[in-house]
Amino acid sequence: MTPKYIWLAHFVGLFMTCILSQDCNLLKVHLSTVTWQNLKILNEMSNSIPIECLREIQDFKLPKEIQPEKTSIKYIFYEMFTQAINIFSQNTSNSTWDKEQLVQFQNKLYEQIEYLQQCLNKENKEKEDMKEVKADEKEHSGAEVLWQSQLKLRRYFSRIYNFLKDKKYSRCAWEIVRVEIRRCFHYFETFTKS
Amino acid sequence: MDDWIKLPGCQHTAGTKCYFSLPDLDVYEELQLRIRTEKGNDTSSWSEVYSFIPFKKAQIGPPKVHLAAEDKAITIYISPPGTEDNVMWSLDEKAFTYRLVMWKNSSNIEERIETVHPGGKIYKLSPETTYCLKVRAELLMYSKIGIYSPVCCINTTVENKLPPPENLEISANNESYILKWDYAYVNVTFQVQWLHGFLKVISGTSLHKWEQIPNCEHIKITYCVFLRKLLPKGIYYLRVQASNGNSTSFWSQEKKLNTAIYTIIPPPVISMKPVNDSLRVYVNAPEVPLIYEISFWENNSNTERKIKEKTDFTIANLQPLTVYCVKARAHFVSESWNKSSIFSDIVCEKTKPGNSYKSWVIAGICIAAVFIVVIIYIMKNLLRCFNYVFFPSLKPPSNIDKYLSEQPLKNLLLLTTEEQIERCSIIENTNTNTIMKETNQIDEDHKRYNSQTSQDSGNYSNEDENTGSKASEELLQLETGSPETNS
Repeated sequence: MTPKYIWLAHFVGLFMTCILSQDCNLLKVHLSTVTWQNLKILNEMSNSIPIECLREIQDFKLPKEIQPEKTSIKYIFYEMFTQAINIFSQNTSNSTWDKEQLVQFQNKLYEQIEYLQQCLNKENKEKEDMKEVKADEKEHSGAEVLWQSQLKLRRYFSRIYNFLKDKKYSRCAWEIVRVEIRRCFHYFETFTKS
Repeated sequence: MDDWIKLPGCQHTAGTKCYFSLPDLDVYEELQLRIRTEKGNDTSSWSEVYSFIPFKKAQIGPPKVHLAAEDKAITIYISPPGTEDNVMWSLDEKAFTYRLVMWKNSSNIEERIETVHPGGKIYKLSPETTYCLKVRAELLMYSKIGIYSPVCCINTTVENKLPPPENLEISANNESYILKWDYAYVNVTFQVQWLHGFLKVISGTSLHKWEQIPNCEHIKITYCVFLRKLLPKGIYYLRVQASNGNSTSFWSQEKKLNTAIYTIIPPPVISMKPVNDSLRVYVNAPEVPLIYEISFWENNSNTERKIKEKTDFTIANLQPLTVYCVKARAHFVSESWNKSSIFSDIVCEKTKPGNSYKSWVIAGICIAAVFIVVIIYIMKNLLRCFNYVFFPSLKPPSNIDKYLSEQPLKNLLLLTTEEQIERCSIIENTNTNTIMKETNQIDEDHKRYNSQTSQDSGNYSNEDENTGSKASEELLQLETGSPETNS
């Protein structure tokens, strides 16, 4: 009985994201699963930070004041994944990561970006259709909150970019960034549960 | 007091407009400006503070466009808006989406509007025609739409001898993907290439790193079969090119492969548990909203019943003590497509016995309990009889007891070790010495006789006389007889 269930669990893990990537209504479940998979890859790419890099650790001030709600979560995740793919597409020649794993990570991120883009486009279309209807105040303030959250996230990623540039994409810098991105994913994944 | 800094480029300006740039500016932080007028040595007071976030206010400028033409397609190379060291869009370089408007130079009416990736192609054009286009960058996430680039025109080339392959289609089975295409001519060989989807986004205008599919180089057939594991889960693009030794065709239109579409839904794992007169069915389901189609039937019949369920459920109203078998398959239905799994293994289970049987069992238990009580009672009585027969009490029955009220007589009935002896004395006295000796012996005999006949007191005296006389005769003979024997 047990080996059978292990096989099934393995298959289910692979299969869930595939199937879920087609339906925007299952967004939260999808994002949760996918983020865990990304975290797994980030973990496997490297062992812990080498000791000599510890003194270069910097506090990037992850914006924990951002508490995305159901409506805004796809924007936050789109931003997060887009920035992550941008960061990891820069010069990683100094890192000691397995190239295959890096490619797999980028592949996964791209899949999510495509999926989220499709969902965002759908939402934009719906909004355009409803343009005649006046947006009520609640929605307006919601949009403002979203803007603020996006800006905070932007500043956070800007700090990471500048750090990498300043350290000239060294091996230590990449390790620190890898850990930071992992923290970021982990924090926002908790909002897919609510 | 705030630390106000002079804005370079906007000092002593003549008009009411000035241009400034702050290279180290954090475009996501609020920026505050204030203005005052000066005339000679007089200055006005400061205006109201104008604060804004540069990124929010900023408008996207025109991208830079560079074109390359084929016979029926144009390749568009796009550089993102802003300079290389631009600060405003440094985080968005790869997030821009580009929208293109294209028309034939001859007729301004015909317009095509498309979304395009940098390095992307526009297909289905006519050869030897001039096409003009303009491109703008967009950041939909922030509802920002940029300005169009200046118009760019290009001529498509003469039609190529070999056309590119057309109508690329992808299908899959358990182990491999199959790419099929159409081609009008024979005696050509094909080669197939693939590309990671994300490279289209992140590599910008640099050449994309297309890779060959092994087993599909210089093939003569119009299809390519390759193992699924070559392209693990993700988004890819495939393209095909034809060649006949002398010339090669341009690359076909790229076909997007999203491996997610070809995933196999595993069959569900079901287990059953009989509950009363129904069967509880447990489906091992992932967190995905699948619909399960369940077929169940009685073990020896042919009629199947089908139901649709979402999670664990109960099949009710079944026959007791019957074996039912169940098999299930999963369906995934979404807006774009639907998929089904194969049927699971068949699981059979017997239902529990019915309620009437149960009541018979209870009755049986009651009867058994009563039976046991009766048995115990009988056994008790038997034990009493047994004890009476083999281990009687030594009390005499009550009616005899009446007569045995005196103590000494009671003692007579008991066997004692002590012998009761009566002393006897001789009445006749002839040979007193010998008789005396004899009487001692006789006494002893008597004693012996007494002991023997102690119980019989009646016969006692007669025997005594006989023995006594016999003994005296013997004595007389002894005394008189001796002279006779001497001769």
